[in-house]
Amino acid sequence: MRMLPPKTTLVIVTLVAFMKAPDAMPAFKDYKVLDFHAIPGVLDFKERKVSAAPIEDEQLRLHPDKDIASYKVFRLNDPAHALDHFYEALQRTEFRQPGGTTRIVHYGDSPTTADMITGDARMLLQSRFGDGGYGFCLLAKPWAWYDHNGVSLQSTGWTIDPASQTRLKDGLYGLGGVSFSGEAGAHTNIVLRDGSHTRLGVSFLKRPGGGMFQVLAAGKALATIDTKGPVVEPDYSHVDLPPNSRHLEIRVIFGNVRAFGVSFEKTQPGVQYDSLGLNGANISVLSRTFDERHWSDQLRRLQPDLVIINYGTNESGYASFVDQSFGRELTESVRRVRAAAPGASILVMSPMDRGRRETGGEIGTLPTIPRLVTIQQRVAMEMGCGFFNTFLAMGGPGTMGQWYQAEPRLVGGDFIHPMPAGAKIVGSLLYQALFDGYRQFKVRRVHERFANLPPAAPK
Amino acid sequence: MLLSSSAYFIFLIGVFFLYWPMAHFRALGLATILLANYFFYAKWDLFYLFLIPAASTCDFAIGLGLERSKSPGVRRLLVSLSVLLNLGILASFKYMPFLLDNYARLSGTTAPGWHWIFPLGISFYAFQSLTYTIDVYRRDAKATRSYLAYLTSVSFFPTTLAGPITRVATLLPQFEKRDKVLSSVDGGKALFLIALGLTKKLLIADYLADNLVNRVFDFPKLYSGAETLIATYGYALQLYYDFSGYTDIAIGSAMLLGIKLPANFNMPYAAESIADFWRRWHISLSNWLRDYLYFSLPGLRSKWKIFTYLNLVVTMLLGGLWHGASWNFVIWGLLHGVGLAVTRAFQGKTGPAGGWPRYARIFLTVNFICFAWIFFRSTTLDAALTVLNRIASLTVSFENISPGVAVVLLIAVVGHYFPIKWQSWVSDRFVATPFYAQAAALMLLAIALQYVAATGVAPFIYTKF
Repeated sequence: MRMLPPKTTLVIVTLVAFMKAPDAMPAFKDYKVLDFHAIPGVLDFKERKVSAAPIEDEQLRLHPDKDIASYKVFRLNDPAHALDHFYEALQRTEFRQPGGTTRIVHYGDSPTTADMITGDARMLLQSRFGDGGYGFCLLAKPWAWYDHNGVSLQSTGWTIDPASQTRLKDGLYGLGGVSFSGEAGAHTNIVLRDGSHTRLGVSFLKRPGGGMFQVLAAGKALATIDTKGPVVEPDYSHVDLPPNSRHLEIRVIFGNVRAFGVSFEKTQPGVQYDSLGLNGANISVLSRTFDERHWSDQLRRLQPDLVIINYGTNESGYASFVDQSFGRELTESVRRVRAAAPGASILVMSPMDRGRRETGGEIGTLPTIPRLVTIQQRVAMEMGCGFFNTFLAMGGPGTMGQWYQAEPRLVGGDFIHPMPAGAKIVGSLLYQALFDGYRQFKVRRVHERFANLPPAAPK
Repeated sequence: MLLSSSAYFIFLIGVFFLYWPMAHFRALGLATILLANYFFYAKWDLFYLFLIPAASTCDFAIGLGLERSKSPGVRRLLVSLSVLLNLGILASFKYMPFLLDNYARLSGTTAPGWHWIFPLGISFYAFQSLTYTIDVYRRDAKATRSYLAYLTSVSFFPTTLAGPITRVATLLPQFEKRDKVLSSVDGGKALFLIALGLTKKLLIADYLADNLVNRVFDFPKLYSGAETLIATYGYALQLYYDFSGYTDIAIGSAMLLGIKLPANFNMPYAAESIADFWRRWHISLSNWLRDYLYFSLPGLRSKWKIFTYLNLVVTMLLGGLWHGASWNFVIWGLLHGVGLAVTRAFQGKTGPAGGWPRYARIFLTVNFICFAWIFFRSTTLDAALTVLNRIASLTVSFENISPGVAVVLLIAVVGHYFPIKWQSWVSDRFVATPFYAQAAALMLLAIALQYVAATGVAPFIYTKF
């Protein structure tokens, strides 16, 4: 002991004894700050692994049991073949049949409003089945976070009411859940990355005293639309676009106009994938906030082949809502969608994992998430919908913790919003699941055709 | 092995108990520390066990050559060799992927694979190593004849990851000193500094990173202008507490082994100008850049002041590029370089300020620094512009600033401006308490950090540079 600095040594030895106390005295087990069994690990020289392809590595980690060709596939849960209508549309699109456009609408929350996941899934579906256009887009950005891949929006003069933030008495929020009203001068400049769209649709409200707006392409007026009508009702206007139209404008020229969004279409067969997300949205936006008659009209006009209902992240912060109300609200949302678009397939898509810091430092999963996913699956099966378990597909409990520690990081510092690389993983998981379901559908159809053939006549 | 991890403290305690019995025998003491240094490097990558001894041996030999040689030509050649060797190591590891990538873009080919991992702290090693050969070349220091002492001091483990960059000539005499003792005062101060560093890192820096800064800088568009501005100030505080926390642990660890390292921070956000800021922030790097880069640039003694300004900009630009090969760091360096040049141009024209003009200067300086931090923190230039756009949106809402974040921000601000003599008073009280009280205080802090900090071991920001 004389060779060691006496007081400092005593401090360290006493401190180590204090740290060891919880092992010896169970009463102190909650105050354990050092795992003495980990001491030999200090001598461990592990080789550091740096990945050149982190996204692929992550996918392999998620499904190590799968062979390399199919490890990305996490199947849909669709025992009742609820998605057959969608697959039939997809098949028409694949065979390039006239009017063979497959329309998907995806309702969700903040990742959806930024066109994360949906943008990746759209890109993959359109590369495989054809590009049907950018689809529906809000008239202006209700928040800076709003985005739609390929579309740039600059607007001024609109009063913006998103369903997730303001409660309009009439509940008229259009297809995308946001109402825009503007006096003369209010306008939106739209720049499209792809100039091959042939038609622009505008969704607005016809009403007594409604104003007028113009649609312009490269500064030239293409159409002037009067929104005045005898009664309040949703209306739609379609304008053919000149070739290579990239710079478009919607401008209120008279009175007050209330509008909801624009859509960009192509005449060629392809997939249209509408990303309809609202910041901070939860399932009650569909089940309660939207006026049912108005929203039904919007869906009916669109005639979607697949409606994806993808909520849960915001609800997971409220355990009592999850346990007591979520199932009921989801059931009501499905009923409303089915009433509006009876032929459409419906897919309930679970939220991603949602992380939180646990005591001790590790990032765990919010306990409500698995419960909520179970409720979604039950309702989906009861209501004859397909179900995609995003939570399990991406790796289940603790995934956000692993994503946060990945290099590069796959989830943001809130352990909720995926980084672009993380969104790409989830988008490709969804695409792979839909494509896998479609392949199974085709095989099933071939089997059915052979089964229905009359038996061969005896020779 | 990060300096805030339990593995590091197990290692440090092990070194402490091995070193002090050996310290009575100079060679054994040095060998113990050298072994600890190389063990520490090997924990990152076994490749270090080849790289560091090889590079150190070359510099040791160059140092001896510089000491013996009288020929200016030979001496210049030798020091150039050392500069080439150390900057070569740095360039190979840190800038080669960037250079290859840009070459491939220009030539329209595919970049060849470069599989060498950028080793943590290699730039701190290179800078520290260069202080030795350049000092010997300038005759500011004498070359050591002790191979063991040189190897030990140039790779001293507490300074490996992120400094403080210590002149080898300052470290060598401490390592070569015989019959070292650790007084109870120094021991107590060392433990206090380690505890303070851990508190800064885990309780403030990591908390702010987790609950405010990373969230906002990852997705600025999700937050209001006011929240983004608060997150920018939050980042300034996070960076300070992260880096100064690391430095406290490094200085405390070295002190436990009887080695004194220089201070690296001195209330940086109380600076009255950019020049003053660099006298208070990452002092060891500022000194290094001044002594070994700025003083080496041409035109220093020119009567044309423009050379002085230009050299300041060039020095900070290179300082920026040292942090990483990206436009963000170029802009950050440029902002500081221009800031320093402007400060120099007005030096002497404004008298010492007291009262509100002084506070106005501090306010302006802090905001300029925070503005530059936006480029430093953002991953791309686009991301930095998005952050600035959000701040310029002037939207006001505080719903994402939780009460916990507000309290930690307040503690961080108060802690930063906490007078140094008050901190010394607290340290002196800790040192004066009996050993069991010190141990109990440290144990309570460990429990508090475990439960209150609620965060894992996040890497220190500066270890990646």
